[in-house]
Amino acid sequence: MSTPETPAPTSSSPGFMEKNYFLLRRLHSLTGIVPIGVFLIAHLTTNSSLLWGKWGLRSEGADETIISGGVHYFWKEVQWINNQIPHLLLIEIVLWVSIAFHSILGVYYARTGKANTARYAYQSNWRYSLQRITGYIAIFYIFYHVATLRWGWEFLIPGDAKWSADYAASTLAAALRGSNTDFTAMGVVTSLFYFVGITASVYHFANGLWTAAITWGLTVSAPAQRRWGYVCAMVGVGLMGMAWMSLAGALITPPNEMREVEQRLLDKQKVKLPPQPGTIESRAEESLPMTTVSNQGVSSGQ
Amino acid sequence: MISTFTNTDANSPLAAELAQRMANRKMAKEGRTIIFRIKRCDGPGKPSRWEDFKVPVPKNANVISCLQYIAANPVTAQGQQSTPVVWDSGCLEEVCGACTMVINGKVRQSCSCLIDDYAPGEGDVMTLEPMSKFPVIRDLWVDRERVFHNLKRVKAWVPIDGTYYLGGGPKESPQKQETRYKLSECMSCGCCLEACPQFNLEENKNEWDSAFIGAHAISQARLFNEHETGKQLKDDRLDVLMGPGGVNDCGNAQNCVKVCPKHIPLTESIAAIGRAVTVRAFTRFFKD
Amino acid sequence: MAQQRVIVVGGGLAGLAASVRIAEAGTPVDLFSLVPVKRSHSVCAQGGINACNEVARQQGYSEYEHFDETIYGGDFLADQHPVLEMANWAPRIIDLLDRMGVPFNRTNEGNRDLRLFGGSLFKRTHFAGATTGQQLIYALDEQVRRYEAEGKVSKYEFWEFLWPIIEDGKAVGIVAQDLRTMQIRSFRADAVVMATGGNGLVYGKSTQSVICTGAAAARCYQAGVWYGNPEMIQVHPTAIPGADKLRLMSESARGEGGRVWVPRKKGDTRNPKDIPEAERYYFLEERYPAYGNIVPRDIATREIFSVCVNDGLGVDGQNQVYLDLTHLAPDYLTKKLGGILEIYEKFVGADPRFSPMKIFPAVHYSMGGLWTTFTKGSYNPNDALTKHKSGSRAPINFDIGLGMQLGAPNNSMTNIPGIYAFGEVNFAYHGANRLGANALLSCIFDGLFCGVSVVNYIKNEAPSKKPADSVAQSVFDAAVASEQAKVKRLMDAVDPAGNRNVEVNPYAIGKELGDEMTAACTVVRGEARLKQCLGKLTELKDRYSRLKLADAATWTNQSMSYTRAMGDMLLIAEAIAKGALERRESRGAHYREDHTERDDANFMKTTRAVYDPASRTTTVDFVPIDASLIKPTARTYGKKEASAEPAKKPALAGV
Ligand SMILES: Cc1cc2nc3c(=O)[nH]c(=O)nc-3n(C[C@H](O)[C@H](O)[C@H](O)COP(=O)(O)OP(=O)(O)OC[C@H]3O[C@@H](n4cnc5c(N)ncnc54)[C@H](O)[C@@H]3O)c2cc1C
Ligand code: SF4
Ligand code: SF4
Ligand code: FES
Repeated sequence: MSTPETPAPTSSSPGFMEKNYFLLRRLHSLTGIVPIGVFLIAHLTTNSSLLWGKWGLRSEGADETIISGGVHYFWKEVQWINNQIPHLLLIEIVLWVSIAFHSILGVYYARTGKANTARYAYQSNWRYSLQRITGYIAIFYIFYHVATLRWGWEFLIPGDAKWSADYAASTLAAALRGSNTDFTAMGVVTSLFYFVGITASVYHFANGLWTAAITWGLTVSAPAQRRWGYVCAMVGVGLMGMAWMSLAGALITPPNEMREVEQRLLDKQKVKLPPQPGTIESRAEESLPMTTVSNQGVSSGQ
Repeated sequence: MISTFTNTDANSPLAAELAQRMANRKMAKEGRTIIFRIKRCDGPGKPSRWEDFKVPVPKNANVISCLQYIAANPVTAQGQQSTPVVWDSGCLEEVCGACTMVINGKVRQSCSCLIDDYAPGEGDVMTLEPMSKFPVIRDLWVDRERVFHNLKRVKAWVPIDGTYYLGGGPKESPQKQETRYKLSECMSCGCCLEACPQFNLEENKNEWDSAFIGAHAISQARLFNEHETGKQLKDDRLDVLMGPGGVNDCGNAQNCVKVCPKHIPLTESIAAIGRAVTVRAFTRFFKD
Repeated sequence: MAQQRVIVVGGGLAGLAASVRIAEAGTPVDLFSLVPVKRSHSVCAQGGINACNEVARQQGYSEYEHFDETIYGGDFLADQHPVLEMANWAPRIIDLLDRMGVPFNRTNEGNRDLRLFGGSLFKRTHFAGATTGQQLIYALDEQVRRYEAEGKVSKYEFWEFLWPIIEDGKAVGIVAQDLRTMQIRSFRADAVVMATGGNGLVYGKSTQSVICTGAAAARCYQAGVWYGNPEMIQVHPTAIPGADKLRLMSESARGEGGRVWVPRKKGDTRNPKDIPEAERYYFLEERYPAYGNIVPRDIATREIFSVCVNDGLGVDGQNQVYLDLTHLAPDYLTKKLGGILEIYEKFVGADPRFSPMKIFPAVHYSMGGLWTTFTKGSYNPNDALTKHKSGSRAPINFDIGLGMQLGAPNNSMTNIPGIYAFGEVNFAYHGANRLGANALLSCIFDGLFCGVSVVNYIKNEAPSKKPADSVAQSVFDAAVASEQAKVKRLMDAVDPAGNRNVEVNPYAIGKELGDEMTAACTVVRGEARLKQCLGKLTELKDRYSRLKLADAATWTNQSMSYTRAMGDMLLIAEAIAKGALERRESRGAHYREDHTERDDANFMKTTRAVYDPASRTTTVDFVPIDASLIKPTARTYGKKEASAEPAKKPALAGV
């Protein structure tokens, strides 16, 4: 009857890739969604708050401008992530490993295909080719993004910006502009690269979501595939909006203006929370100049 | 007129293609002469070259009747004596799959390719090329042995007990019959493979068992998995399709389903097999 | 001694069925085909395959009735015992195909659906959409692939059979050529099964595939195999005219309710939909009230021919009539006939569900073929019975071996021991006219039933005489050399007198041959025209010997293969014309305007064509047939003017 093992390929004895072919393929598909895709959603939600944060603050943000409210909310989010999420480093490592795994296999798999959109200019075929192109772009982009802003490879950043969690928005903006004030030429290039990179990543995710449903056999009939396609398109449009909002939020305000808002918040926090030795706050306290508490209403905190 | 048999979505690019052809057909001029630009090659390893032939187009002419004309009058448009173009054909009614070639850049059957649809005007040019995913034997004739080899890979047959009289087969609902019949119309022409960005030329037979198998055989595996007796070999088929060159290698470009002349729901087959191997993987992990 | 092998030439339904059966018996098979077997001409068959079935049986039908219809349909020219066995086997064949996974259309309850077909008033035709042949051949192809994977069948696809090797009067192998590399070599075998199909290309354009040249049969014929009933060529009433081919519009279109008509008024140019019922001439229905549109093919063809050619009533003044389905529900048509209607739409550009099709007869099938013999089965009434009354009880049941003796080595064997002929290339079963949906049956029946005979022959007869293995290599080398010489002669383009470069285009000869045969040897034949045709053939033979190949390539030279086949086709054409000339009567598909009546006393006999290698001509004689089961009656299908023969309708209506 059935033979559980895959029939041996005729030539060489099966290597690791061949023996675990199915597992690797499906892990590749899975990692694209969990954790990478899930992280992408969370990350873009946070970052786009640079533009919608004012409303995220609810009554607290009533007196803030869109810009300052955004920076404010974003600051709070980043603080929360860095301080409240347990095992952050472990989570990050899992994420990095997943991205590396997805990328390496992705490149390997993508190289088995030969695009032919010139002859078969069907929309689905364009999506296929774009999926591969955006994958390559995303690898470069994400690597650059993580290396510069997370691992602190400053030598890759135009200007001398160095990202810090306490000044998340302003240091990010500075890394994009190439300076703390105006756009430098390299800053424009970096910003454009970001635009292409996040656009590619979002497309790659949304389209990947659509193909994954076929790969795993969730959508079988053509109508089901079409319906799920609409859902994925909506997800993609939503995420794309958030991605572009994130970038716009980081680009429209000069870093030094953002920094003022952040500074104000750090100062306020210092008053609100008694410093605890060894925490980030306590270190911030040591290194940052004290400012007076403003007379604005004190927030109830997180 | 949009074909009512294919149920093509009126907004799809295919419907636009079809509408264009129908428009061409209406304005086709009688008594015109057109040019065939044909990619020729004398044999494996030989260089390719293009040759032009002038062909008068009678009513109802198709690519085959024009190739027959060229065979009888092998003189190029430049007046040079040439040789009859070599090509493969059989039924001439799009049911055997033999005459598949790349016409004006797209793969299709040449017998059902009416000249009026593509070259309605005097001096219009049609290009003919051999399929690119299979080794050329000569001119437009390619060696598609791999297509049949892939059927062996997935054991595309019903394992009956022999031909002695043992009564009838299993009963089957009309719905099931319709599903199977649709899949069973596949004529192994290879259009779906030619158009697939994941299916590539592979001349080394030893690589065939690990190279992408393509929509054609995936769909045939589904056909036999759907049959009561054919099911007996389901696990064997799925195990092959889980491995290198199996269903996982599909990149969902979905060109296959668009170029299939028999309108076989190939992408549904791919997804159905995707589902089956998912289930199979779990049972294999936890049970077998 | 090495294991005995069987060579099967041809991978259509007949060849594949034979391969399965022979391989199953443990004998290795070498299977040769011009094309990958899956692309053989059998894929074209559309309508269905006949067999008695439970529903029809309860309405009064039986295997015996199927047998009787086939004999009557064939105008009493077929040897009767093999036909009886075939009809008796038909239900078993359907069951087997069903087990192999053929997606036969189903009823709501899941039973096999049935349709009406020409020559019967009972629904007895099983079908898979409108591509039944394709579905059947795929099922057999898959079984052969299974044996191929197990190493029991070796396929030689894109190989052309060139010559049977005969030693001491029996087959010991063949010579064949690889059409890609052009290599010519010999193959040893103790039996050779020819299953090479029809010869439509002799007529230039027909409903058949481009590979149906009949050359393989012609080569056996030249090697000494007799040819039976060559003049019996079926012209199908309904085909779609085309530039390269006449595409069939299956009889199932009429079986499902299609009506044939022309406007009553000559030169009526109105849109068919605007012509009121009263002004339409449903000539088949009016002339044959019982069978109407489903009269057998030869009759329908002649009526269409006479309406167009004699009465000048053809649509738009051309040779065409309407085949109308527009009164049926579009959904129903898509489900039952989708495949063939799509063909019409594809090639003509009109949707037959909404506008009547324009069709005309076309050459379709060869009832004639290599002459074969058989061993009678156990049913032998002392006197032939009169024609079976439709719907009454059959005189016998349907046990195996009543018509032919199962396993007798000579079943479907030609006059040369070891050479068999299966399928369309076998002249048996269909007499002077084949009923629709009986060809697929005869192909598979030959393969399955007579496949056993092949195995028995090589086990019990061939080796005891002189097995192929023991034949000297020189015999094979000589056969190869002779074929190489033929190729060389063509390639050198030298005429017998040694004049180089005489410009004769083989394609021009092909066209002239087709035109001549279509004009002289189809629906209506006459002595003068046939003699003229024979003269033309002699001229073509002469020109053929002086032709020049258009391609001198030594690799994949299709021109060479085509030109070589052309020479063989000329000989088949000659046999057809000679047979037609000598048969001075009208019977089935063979209608002589100068001998309009059937003449049982002189011509209820097989036309036997024998080739004389010395004079390179055909001689024809008539040999008696086995008509021991049914007495011949007038074949009128209840035509109005003729003595109306009461035809009984199915006992139960509905279904
Ligand atoms: C359009 C059409 C529709 C039909 N519909 C029906 C129908 O509905 N019902 C029905 O019963 N019948 C039908 N018929 C008739 C039926 O299809 C054929 O009679 C039958 O398929 C013949 O099968 P075969 O196996 O004898 O030969 P084929 O299928 O013709 O196969 C011949 C084989 O021989 C090989 N061959 C030939 N010459 C050589 C050579 N020199 N060397 C090597 N190999 C060679 C070919 O490659 C091929 O594999 C139809 C026929 C046509 C044309
Ligand atoms: S699935 Fe369609 S395109 Fe592919 S081989 Fe079959 S018929 Fe051809
Ligand atoms: S869907 Fe898969 S099989 Fe079909 S063309 Fe795309 S990659 Fe190829
Ligand atoms: S010749 Fe058979 S599909 Fe075109």
